[in-house]
Amino acid sequence: MIKLVPLPRRSPLHRRLDGLGAEWSFQGDAEVARHFGDPEGERTAAGRLALVDLSALPRGGYKGPAAIGWLAGLGALIGPEHNRAYPQADGSLIAKLAPTEAFILGPADGPADLLAAWEGAWNAEAADGAWPMPRRDSHCWFFLAGEAAPAMFAKLCAVDLRERAFPLHAVAQTSVARTNAILVSGEIGGHRGAHLLADSASADYLFGVFLDAMDEFDGRPAGLAAIGALG
Amino acid sequence: MKLMHCPLNGPRNISEFQYGGVVKTMPDPVAGSDDAWRDYIVYEPNVAGPVLEWWCHLPTSYWFIAERDTVSDRIIRTMPAAEMFGATPAAGDET
Repeated sequence: MIKLVPLPRRSPLHRRLDGLGAEWSFQGDAEVARHFGDPEGERTAAGRLALVDLSALPRGGYKGPAAIGWLAGLGALIGPEHNRAYPQADGSLIAKLAPTEAFILGPADGPADLLAAWEGAWNAEAADGAWPMPRRDSHCWFFLAGEAAPAMFAKLCAVDLRERAFPLHAVAQTSVARTNAILVSGEIGGHRGAHLLADSASADYLFGVFLDAMDEFDGRPAGLAAIGALG
Repeated sequence: MKLMHCPLNGPRNISEFQYGGVVKTMPDPVAGSDDAWRDYIVYEPNVAGPVLEWWCHLPTSYWFIAERDTVSDRIIRTMPAAEMFGATPAAGDET
């Protein structure tokens, strides 16, 4: 008889990160890279330029003419502007991609309580016109932390990501290294940076692109501990 | 690089956009004649000068309408489809 064992959520980059010497930890149901053998060096890099893979962590979304109103009715804090992200009480972030679409990033440093509550509240009748968009498998999720991130992105992306043009919680849906991507200006553990969401099938390609692009800025991959996301 | 103004996302490189053809009036799905459907599907007006066209911002799959001068290749203006067709709030803004 086959014994079913619940498997942890893994990043599409799991094997690649393992090859870089990742030390693994659990964040809820997700197996995440805590560090790559040099926690102190990674913490320092996070101020300069670091690439953190958050792909295993919870995220989701809703789309449709009633999507924003339905979320707001459940207590989500969403303003009128689209292409903006709105922080929530539990640390999650709602990126309003259009007047009819929300992409929800769970908190990197704790349980995604609100995301789970909204998923539990959804049903086709109660949320007519608001359709769930599962994003945990469709998109990979990187956080590029550090002051050199905008300069690095200038090599890969035509949108100006410097602070004056791309302030905290700004959203840009554009092309990064020829791959369609959503960029969200954010902050984790006091580290400013940019969330990048793209097709999960492109995760390995983008990871390599970032390693190349970070090189001239002394950037490096870092675990979640480097940005204070694991306590 | 040439820039285009996406009504949803703002100015973006032209490489982020896909041309979708001239805006044409679709024949009535029930009463439209074969000739009308042939003209709609096969023939292009090929106007020299300002013309209304469908364009798509690929990263967001957002379709909108642009007015472009086919002689100078200058993009005169862009607008959500709802501005032309007066659709429901969702249809004009959906990504």
